[in-house]
Amino acid sequence: MKNQSINTNQEYKYGFTTDIENIRAPKGLNENSIKFISKMKKEPQWMLDWRLKAYSRLKNLKEPNWQKPKYPKINYQDLYYYSAPKSASNKPKSLDEVDPKLLETYKKLGIPLNEQKKLAGVAVDAVFDSVSVATTYKEELTKKGIIFCSISEAIQKHPDLVKKYIGSVIPITDHYFATLNSAVFTDGSFVYIPPNVRCPMELSTYFRINASETGQFERTLIIADKGSYVSYLEGCTAPMRDENQLHAANVELIALDDAEIKYSTVQNWYPGDKDGVGGIYNFVTKRGACRGKNSKISWTQVETGSAITWKYPSCILQGDNSVGEFYSIAITNNHQKADTGTKMIHLGKNTKSKIISKGISAGKADNTYRGLVDISRKAKNSRNYTQCDSLLMGNKCGAHTVPYIKNKNSSSTVEHEATTSKINEEQLYYCNQRGLNQEEAVSLIVNGFCKEVLQQLPMEFAVEAQKLVGISLEGSVG
Amino acid sequence: MLENFKIDSNEIDKIKHINNDDKNFRIENLNLFNNTGFPGKKEEDWKFSDTRAIFSKNFGKLSLGNSNSKETDIKLIKDFDHNYMFLVNGKLIKSDFKFEDKSKIKISNYHEEKFSEKKSENPFICLNHALSNSGYYLEIKEGYKFEKVLVIYNLFTKDLSNQILNNKNKIVVKKNSELHTINYTINRSKNKFINNSYDNTILFENSKYKNICIQADKSDGYFHRFSNNKLKSDSNFSSFIFSSGLKFYKQDINVDLEGENSECDIKAALFLDNDEHQEIKTKINHLVPNCKSYQKIKNVLDSEGKGIYQGKIYVKDIAQKTNAYQLSKALLLDDNSEFNSKPELEIYADDVKCSHGSTSGSIDENSIHYLMTRGLTKKEAIQLLINGFLNEIVSEIKSSSIRKFVENKIELQIHGY
Repeated sequence: MKNQSINTNQEYKYGFTTDIENIRAPKGLNENSIKFISKMKKEPQWMLDWRLKAYSRLKNLKEPNWQKPKYPKINYQDLYYYSAPKSASNKPKSLDEVDPKLLETYKKLGIPLNEQKKLAGVAVDAVFDSVSVATTYKEELTKKGIIFCSISEAIQKHPDLVKKYIGSVIPITDHYFATLNSAVFTDGSFVYIPPNVRCPMELSTYFRINASETGQFERTLIIADKGSYVSYLEGCTAPMRDENQLHAANVELIALDDAEIKYSTVQNWYPGDKDGVGGIYNFVTKRGACRGKNSKISWTQVETGSAITWKYPSCILQGDNSVGEFYSIAITNNHQKADTGTKMIHLGKNTKSKIISKGISAGKADNTYRGLVDISRKAKNSRNYTQCDSLLMGNKCGAHTVPYIKNKNSSSTVEHEATTSKINEEQLYYCNQRGLNQEEAVSLIVNGFCKEVLQQLPMEFAVEAQKLVGISLEGSVG
Repeated sequence: MLENFKIDSNEIDKIKHINNDDKNFRIENLNLFNNTGFPGKKEEDWKFSDTRAIFSKNFGKLSLGNSNSKETDIKLIKDFDHNYMFLVNGKLIKSDFKFEDKSKIKISNYHEEKFSEKKSENPFICLNHALSNSGYYLEIKEGYKFEKVLVIYNLFTKDLSNQILNNKNKIVVKKNSELHTINYTINRSKNKFINNSYDNTILFENSKYKNICIQADKSDGYFHRFSNNKLKSDSNFSSFIFSSGLKFYKQDINVDLEGENSECDIKAALFLDNDEHQEIKTKINHLVPNCKSYQKIKNVLDSEGKGIYQGKIYVKDIAQKTNAYQLSKALLLDDNSEFNSKPELEIYADDVKCSHGSTSGSIDENSIHYLMTRGLTKKEAIQLLINGFLNEIVSEIKSSSIRKFVENKIELQIHGY
């Protein structure tokens, strides 16, 4: 039973492409393509200036090279920096006007956009390639004064808010990929929750990379004003493709006094085939600032896709008593590589952070947790708890833990623990005995291993994530 | 000034008795060092110990040390019987193995035999390769177990000032043999100087080597020590590190577990205050199955003391059934003290047990309160708790007379608190 061979990896479930005509910017990274993007987006001058400033800085920057997963050099001149479905030039006013092919794609993905939207109670700002196509539930949100729209729309309609907060957490002087994003970002989501408003539903954006050879540069900005609360979901699937595609998104979160932001991600982009050909490069910068007192930011991520995942959703705990949390599951199979973790920068007094990271590697994959806990001299009575567990399946894969811990304060406490192990044979045997086959047993055990993180996800996401965990590991034990 | 510290190649000509291979090897390494200088915080391994900044702050000038001092009088430790070796500024002056069978021991000045060693990325090692001109070679022949401990007295003389010393040592323990050493540093110099040493240890099948590092008292030394340890099957290496009393000390310990069932233990108990900076960096390479490694590092940090632990466990894909453990704990007594750690795991085999933990925080207020209700003053209570914290390591020394000796040394340090 143990050695029974299991059918090869399940084909990528969401691998399909849709034929929609694209409008593309000319290939290459230069001032003209940035101006083209800005023009297509009908952006004001200050936005263009900001982009160009980032671009001029980018010219002096080098790509970082300290990460564990190395990747072939990317030719930035060979990418398209803008591609939009044609039907977006004259935006549809209702769903009926939306390109039926698009709707069909979403249906395959199970996005509750049309008739499912009321049932699921989810407001969706769907990004097909780079332009927001349709936004639902706007009315209900508008009533509460919540702004949930594409960032391009926000730049036009709420320039003050955008101007004030964009780049305040991830400045244009940040690292290479963040700066690249600042120069060429095409679209993304914008959320503003006014003071003392609790967002009545989970806000969600589904990203989807579609057009071939298009780098996707999302920019998300979420602001939770005093005393507000929002839970934001981000989920990703991408069509099957051979070429490596770069995805360098920036996500900025700002929580003011007593505000709370919960940001959940399920990432299931195309990981490349069994031999490691193709797949998405997921180089994302996510950072949240707990600006106000008693504010809280919580990151939850389930990373199962992408050829290379390289991201560190971080929290800057500026406000006194602020809280940062990071829950992560990273699953790598075949030739996938992940280098992910978090940074918790404690600046305010009585700040707390918690990190739970679960890494699972199988096949020939490499999985690295890399994190920083930095307690500054002024952050009195701060606390951190970190737990990183790794699970290895087979001796061709690797699991690595690289935590950096800095404590400069005698009243603060930092705790870190990490373990690495394999799936317990006895547990497998027990499950087999009860009639579960090898794959079901692995899926069950791994789901148990990840439970602490899965619990953090909102209901709809948790179900999808649990399925993903099982699917991602199929064929890895046998 | 020191930021661009470079060493002229004619310094190599001054070293006596070297052949062509040796000379080329030295020149190559000197160039490597001159290209980088002392490493700074931009280099990953030196992130927490910025020697470029530390050295340029503390040394206006720096010259190469001479190891021919006339000072050789050392007071022997009276607490326990022991064999001894005298090193003065790194140079072997005298040795006495009165408790042992001398035919089983080979001792001489260090002499390099092969120069094919891999290039090192550590500028201190390059510097050592280029300039080391003193040190010892100690070999314990097959099947001999030391009766008494060997104390290696490491004397640094009064006349040292703004100098850098480079020395290289090698210890070989052959099959079925056992050796126990104490590295005891005595520093008579009241001035600042740098000592850069490179220790090579090879443990053959079924051998045992135990080592304790401790020093007589506080001093203004800036030390870097790289120790490279190779373990053959069934061998056992254990190392205790106690506070150095130095201003700066970086111990870089590399252990290759090359033979099955080999074991390695690294334990440290450090009390650092007054701007002392001590880093322990370890890399334990599990290269074959069924090996064990265990690390436990404890730091107590007061007034601007800075403790650093960078530990890495590497498990090769074939090294199944590895058991590796790593724990670092720190007590911060003062807001100006600092503890940085980077406990790293790099694992490629699945049937392994690897774990690490790292904690840092203050002394538990409840414990202080409890002790005070029992009649202790606050200071006494804190001292008692620190002692208890560090004693966990000290109590693992088996010989009671040596343990007492170490306990006394540590108590003296804590008393200053």
